Amino acid sequence: MTSIEVQGLTKRFGDVVAVDNLSFEVARGSVTGFLGPNGSGKTTTLRMLLGLVAPTAGSATIAGSSYRQLADPLRHVGAVLESTNFHPGRRARDHLRVLCVAAGIAVSRVDEVLREVGLADVGARRVKGFSLGMRQRLGLAAALLGEPEVLILDEPANGLDPEGVHWLRRFLCSYADRGRTVLVSSHLLAEVAQTVDDVVIIAAGRLITQSSLADLANRATPGVWVRSPQAPALREALAARDVVAEVKGADTMVALATTTDTVGLIAAGAGVVIYEMTARRFDLEELFLELTTTAGGIR
Amino acid sequence: MNEVIRAEFLKLRTTRMFYGNALATLAFVPLFVAIAIQTAGDDGGGAALDTSEGLRSVLSAASSGSLMVLMIGIMVMAGEFRHNTATSTFLVTPDRRRVVGAKLIASTLVGVGLAMPTSVLSLAIAVPWLAAKDVTVDVLSAEVGLILLAAIAATALYALIGVGVGSLIRNQTAAVVAVLVWILVAENALVSFMPEVGRWLPGVATDALTGLGTPSYGLLPAWGAGLLLGAYGLAFAAAGIRFVVRRDVA
Repeated sequence: MTSIEVQGLTKRFGDVVAVDNLSFEVARGSVTGFLGPNGSGKTTTLRMLLGLVAPTAGSATIAGSSYRQLADPLRHVGAVLESTNFHPGRRARDHLRVLCVAAGIAVSRVDEVLREVGLADVGARRVKGFSLGMRQRLGLAAALLGEPEVLILDEPANGLDPEGVHWLRRFLCSYADRGRTVLVSSHLLAEVAQTVDDVVIIAAGRLITQSSLADLANRATPGVWVRSPQAPALREALAARDVVAEVKGADTMVALATTTDTVGLIAAGAGVVIYEMTARRFDLEELFLELTTTAGGIR
Repeated sequence: MNEVIRAEFLKLRTTRMFYGNALATLAFVPLFVAIAIQTAGDDGGGAALDTSEGLRSVLSAASSGSLMVLMIGIMVMAGEFRHNTATSTFLVTPDRRRVVGAKLIASTLVGVGLAMPTSVLSLAIAVPWLAAKDVTVDVLSAEVGLILLAAIAATALYALIGVGVGSLIRNQTAAVVAVLVWILVAENALVSFMPEVGRWLPGVATDALTGLGTPSYGLLPAWGAGLLLGAYGLAFAAAGIRFVVRRDVA
């Protein structure tokens, strides 16, 4: 079942086409990574999806209706956009109280979401004293107020320290485990590779590909990365058994379309010493770079 | 709609700016009363204190909140863009007409709420001071009532103008500067170059409505100035709503 549907979405700012006839779908209950280099139109797309920016053409719907048509939007969709959405002089708890009152949500949710994001102790502090990581958490707390079934996050890992990124990753996984939908944008595939089921990749405002992460991984050539002081000898031995290997350095090589078992057996047969051997499943980041630069170009 | 208005009040109550403005407004009242009393009569150039013009100019201190409410109106709207809180505001209430409408209503009520204590304070300071100068003021007279009603109306209407300006000029600092330049420079310049146009300008209409200041050119009658100021308020409010609804929030 489709949760988010984007159809022919286009946004022009003067002569600049920020988003160009973009279409994709996000399945209900999935975690989808919305990926593209900086300036590829991710934020504009998400802002159109959330009714903040009017599309030049096309449509974006959540559970079948546009964001502006949703009766109680906070109860359906939680959104975390940039981390500066706070009045610096307002206390964190008051920021959330304002949103509760406007959305008709019980104010008791404020303390619940503050606990959920680990800000329970600093709720009474003014936001101007908050670090970037705390602001991201407060933004997430605001998005969770209405217990929405869809969560949309724009570059949520920006400015987080490694511990914060780890926390966010676990949070999103547990959120999705409850059958909810998450759409999370990033300019780094590696950042979301451990979290997402599906990816939507865009560049220069156009769709490059939409697929499951598993399918994307299959598109990268699998192989075995080997380090050996006798690399040329191993390469010959592999070639004799119809295994193609690419030399990557003085003592390193990658054997393509094979397994560590096969390479190990051939090496033993040829009496070649091996220092190190790893099954190289795929390098998502390389693939991502290739997809977004060759197909779409960078701005 | 009630919820959106309540949220706007909560936004005001949870920042210090609002309390600062309210206190400053009250602090201006004794100052304005003192200026009006000191400049009254032949030596000061104003109307004598025992005339109705004199009384009007003293009690016009009750409208000292209008400028502050104008600033509050600007900050209520432009502040949303300054701090980017417009994003979360419009995510909660995607119908932006309701958001601007709630801001107009909340700011107007703040204007009324501020003009009432300034009215009381004006009387509390002016009446004994005038009594010491052998001028008796009938606090319950229609004359006093109308002066204070005009002060309350002007303060409330300035809230509409403020929210409208804050919607049209989204840069809060630019909006505040534009308003101050208009009030302190542009309007005076227009009045001196084209005196016949002067009475139709919002600041001059405010003077005519409240009795603040003693301009030498022809003023509209207070009721006409009130209607004119009301028209300005509604025009700014309507333009603000139109503008905010159409603009992208990026």
